[in-house]
Amino acid sequence: MGRKLKLKIKLRRRRRRRLKDLYEEKLFEILKEFRLPLLMLHTVMTVGTLGYMILSGGDFINSLYMTVITVGTIGYGEVVRGSDTPVGRIFTTFLALGGIGVFTTAVTILVRIFFKEDVIGIIRAWRMLNAIEQLSQHYIICGFDEVTAELIRLLRKRKIEFVVIDSRKEVEKKLLEARVKYYIIEEPYKRTVLEAAGIKKARGMVVNLGDDAKNIAVIVTARLMRPSKDEFYVFSFASTPETAQKLEELGANKAIVPHRLLATRLAAYIFHTSSAYISDLFDRIAFGEETDIDILEVPVREGSPLAGKKLKDIDLRRQLGVTVIAIKRADGSLEVTVTGDTEVEPGDTLILFGRPENLRRAEKLLLRLTEAKV
Amino acid sequence: MRLKKILTHFFILMALTTNISFIASPNGYELVITIAMNMLATILKMGEGKILSNELMASSLVADLHLIPAGFIYFLGDTEEAVGLAIGALAANIISIVIGVIETILVTFTEEEE
Repeated sequence: MGRKLKLKIKLRRRRRRRLKDLYEEKLFEILKEFRLPLLMLHTVMTVGTLGYMILSGGDFINSLYMTVITVGTIGYGEVVRGSDTPVGRIFTTFLALGGIGVFTTAVTILVRIFFKEDVIGIIRAWRMLNAIEQLSQHYIICGFDEVTAELIRLLRKRKIEFVVIDSRKEVEKKLLEARVKYYIIEEPYKRTVLEAAGIKKARGMVVNLGDDAKNIAVIVTARLMRPSKDEFYVFSFASTPETAQKLEELGANKAIVPHRLLATRLAAYIFHTSSAYISDLFDRIAFGEETDIDILEVPVREGSPLAGKKLKDIDLRRQLGVTVIAIKRADGSLEVTVTGDTEVEPGDTLILFGRPENLRRAEKLLLRLTEAKV
Repeated sequence: MRLKKILTHFFILMALTTNISFIASPNGYELVITIAMNMLATILKMGEGKILSNELMASSLVADLHLIPAGFIYFLGDTEEAVGLAIGALAANIISIVIGVIETILVTFTEEEE
């Protein structure tokens, strides 16, 4: 009795289905629909071949050929021995009468199922899900519109991989036009969908579904799966500053109110009309539009080999090709007049300026040095 | 009793028995009937979502891929090679039967549970 119970429990304890499994199931469901036409076709072929074999005394290959040309309405003639006899002709007559109908019906049903169920689309989605499984440190973009299309352009410039999730079928055409490599046409708030988009290995997520309630649903689901705000960044759109605050409380690292953001940027241009170039440059760097120059924050932790040293001793400019333009102190104050004699303290954040590749190298090296020391 | 299950198992068994009789005394008609039965069993298993359906479908496809070339080879005159391939298909047929029996037991367990 105990063994039976154990077996039952094992049978019941099946792993949770992934989105890929659901697509596989869809394919099998379609395969099921192929059964009837294939059975019809198979029966006609078997009856025809065996019939001609009996007439010809066991000539299989010609019997099969004769059946195909008869039911396929090709009719090259009576190619098999015995088919030109009265019995043979009676058999061919009945085979043609029944077989041609079955053949055309079966082929029509097969073609109709193939196109109605969008077999190619399902196979493409399944292959895409397989490819997404290989991604890591990518971004998930929920919702596709003009804003996210522009974001995609910028991410591509920085060679950052991304997966777009949108529930609207009509968006697929636009995604293909925008040459989006990875996308999922499903509801983004579903756990299985986020899992399929590789949330466990992703670096962050952008939520832009055009509706605060939908944004909240996605953010909450994502945060349940990736709770740490330091390891998984969630950026969202919000309709009002109040909603933005709520979204941040619920798990978004930053919720952006589009009209406010636009106004701020326009105001920046108005306030800096006399220094338009530099204001625009910082803007472009901040918004990732300047691909030759970038800024980076590197935290100096307790025990870092940088702590307690003067900037001229570290000499990052010569060593790594990056410049320290400011230091954010532990108390939150920003020191902008840094010189070679400025001392780096634990808890500081160095603000580095330079070419993106140099900054990436500096980030890796400085973080590695800190970890090794700790 | 379920008609579909009876039909599937009937064709699997027919494929096995006709295959054995073909191996025992090679005959063109038996080989054609074996191929037809095997293909029917494969079509009936298509898209099934039961516990061991994937394994059942795979073993059936293996048997088809042995028997179809065996058919052509036999009628082109190489009886020995055709019998060899039919023996290969026989192994797949036996595995199909074993998997079918296991599946029936497992399905009975889960149905009892429900």
